Amino acid sequence: MSSTPSRPAAPAWVIPLRSWAGSDFFVLVLSAVYFLILTPLAPGFASTGNALSLITSLLPLLLLAVGQTWVLVSGGIDLSVTATIALTSVLGGLAVNEISGWLGSGPLAIPAAIGLMLAAGAGVGLLNGLAVAQLRMPPFMVTLTSLMFFSGVAVWLTQSQPIGSLPPTFTAFGGRLGWALPVAALLTWVAHLGLSRTVLGRWLYAVGQNARTAEVSGVPVRAVTISAYVVSGLLAAVASLLLTGQAETASPVLGQRMLLDVIAATVIGGVSLYGGQGRILGVLFGVLFIRLIDNSLNLLGLNFTLILMTKGAVILLAAWLDGWRRQLTRTA
Amino acid sequence: MNLRTFLQRSAAVVAALTLAGCDRSDPAITSTPTISPGGADPLTIGVAFETLQTEYWVAGLDAIKASAHRRNVRVLESVADGDANRQLEQVKNFINRRVDGLIIVPKDGKTVIPMIKAANAAQIPVVLYNRPSDPTDAPHTVVAPDNFAITKATVEYLISEARKTGRKVKALVLLGDLGDVNAMGRRDGFEAAVKEAGDAIEVVARVPTEWKQEKALAGVQSAFQAHPDIGLIFTSSDFMFPSIKSVLSSQGKWKKVGELGHVILGGFDGDATAYQLMKDGYVDATGVQDVFWESDQAVQVIAEVKDGKPAPARIEDKGFVITQANLKELESRMWGAQVANRK
Repeated sequence: MSSTPSRPAAPAWVIPLRSWAGSDFFVLVLSAVYFLILTPLAPGFASTGNALSLITSLLPLLLLAVGQTWVLVSGGIDLSVTATIALTSVLGGLAVNEISGWLGSGPLAIPAAIGLMLAAGAGVGLLNGLAVAQLRMPPFMVTLTSLMFFSGVAVWLTQSQPIGSLPPTFTAFGGRLGWALPVAALLTWVAHLGLSRTVLGRWLYAVGQNARTAEVSGVPVRAVTISAYVVSGLLAAVASLLLTGQAETASPVLGQRMLLDVIAATVIGGVSLYGGQGRILGVLFGVLFIRLIDNSLNLLGLNFTLILMTKGAVILLAAWLDGWRRQLTRTA
Repeated sequence: MNLRTFLQRSAAVVAALTLAGCDRSDPAITSTPTISPGGADPLTIGVAFETLQTEYWVAGLDAIKASAHRRNVRVLESVADGDANRQLEQVKNFINRRVDGLIIVPKDGKTVIPMIKAANAAQIPVVLYNRPSDPTDAPHTVVAPDNFAITKATVEYLISEARKTGRKVKALVLLGDLGDVNAMGRRDGFEAAVKEAGDAIEVVARVPTEWKQEKALAGVQSAFQAHPDIGLIFTSSDFMFPSIKSVLSSQGKWKKVGELGHVILGGFDGDATAYQLMKDGYVDATGVQDVFWESDQAVQVIAEVKDGKPAPARIEDKGFVITQANLKELESRMWGAQVANRK
């Protein structure tokens, strides 16, 4: 093997810094620093009530970001998740509302409605995956079109009207942390294991890094790609279940504004927009960071426009820090 | 690197940054309350708006802040940007900050119910500003306009103008989002006035706009295709006047009050556009929501509840009708006039 010209040796203190910055826990530390700095400034920030509120609002975003991670790792992107939320919320609401629910009020109505929501979420994912993998259409265009189409379907199904009178057992899945937390934690853990400990996970990284090479190496690229979109659709449906439960209302505009938070959380969590890179643990911390910013800025009682500007600036700073640490670790 | 090693290496960085951050506290955004002249801590209210997308909501928020300022009440504000779940979280944030009261403009009448319940559980009084909730047992106060009465009075004025023409006038009405109780109240007020008018006018087109400008434009265009002799238009919100103006201008019918061929125009809200069009002589009348009164009532309810008085379930803004005849007299109470004069 030929030797490459040697670079000047890095100072001793740089080595642990590189190791520290390259870790998945980097964003967790950013979050901790942010939390500690804001605690004396934002009244109620460190209270138990706020922690519960923060966790409740964090779970749907976490599920969406985890699903997005599977797609991003495979080299795609799923812009349709908010439409999946709206569609599945509306379908669930139409199925079980106590006034005119399709499924009535029998004992199987709620499980059937949840099944319908999950099937619809998986169906949207399957369509996206087929269009990307089989028809070789650009993921951005496919999922942008899905976003428009399924948002339109949700509005058409409800004629823009939110659906109330949902059974308490149905809304409990999202409204009660005792249900929502274990469900979200379990799904996140399974998604983590799937990505890090299974053949499918290794194939996803391989496809995301270089689909052609992966195909030549025997990876079933199409099936792997489709599976990523189906997982994203399924997790969006579960996120929809949680959001619908929290609002106690099914709505065709539910989650409409979450897409940027999803993308920001995954990127800050270390997932590459170019595919082949990212871990669920980092995404968990990315989601935590995004929610901490939103939560704290509200507690500070700042003006709305100032909140938007501050949030944008903090996310930009976090993204810059993320780029910096990647550069640092690449030069190690 | 495992978690333990990582945390050990991080600890020093965190501690240093934290100490540095704590020293930089900004007195402008700390929670230290100012002391009121009476010596008691001032009240703090959380104001959660669903949106600030139209000038009506901006004027409403400004009026609430002005009213609170006069009463030495501190305001924390949040805007959910159309996201009901975000608004729920913002309301919970206010509850965690232990505010003395909440003023909410909800996304809709259904998603606000969990917010009211959360506030009730924390024993914090809630006022719904301008948008009522769907029926619920959870106690709260609604401060809202009497859409029916204000619209009926406005349309009665328009019909009285129509009678002056000495012929049966064809009318067009632009309806709002029929899932919105405000829109339904205005529709019912319009229909009640028409019913009482007998054969003075004939409603030839009812356009459901869903509060969308493009639907209003398309609806007015279609109506004039079918009935070019429409002589009276009522819009359920003033913000749709630009669509009306566009169609009338293209047909050569954008005429001032009193000019030959003038189409009688009326609206609801009292926004800056309506004020300018009235001032310029094109619009006959508009029903005005008294934003300043509503805002003052919302803040007052919370102050009174904190003083131990019971909260009313509903406070109705009777509003007023502003016409070409009383414009000068009443424009100081028209919120749109103040917005227009600030521009």
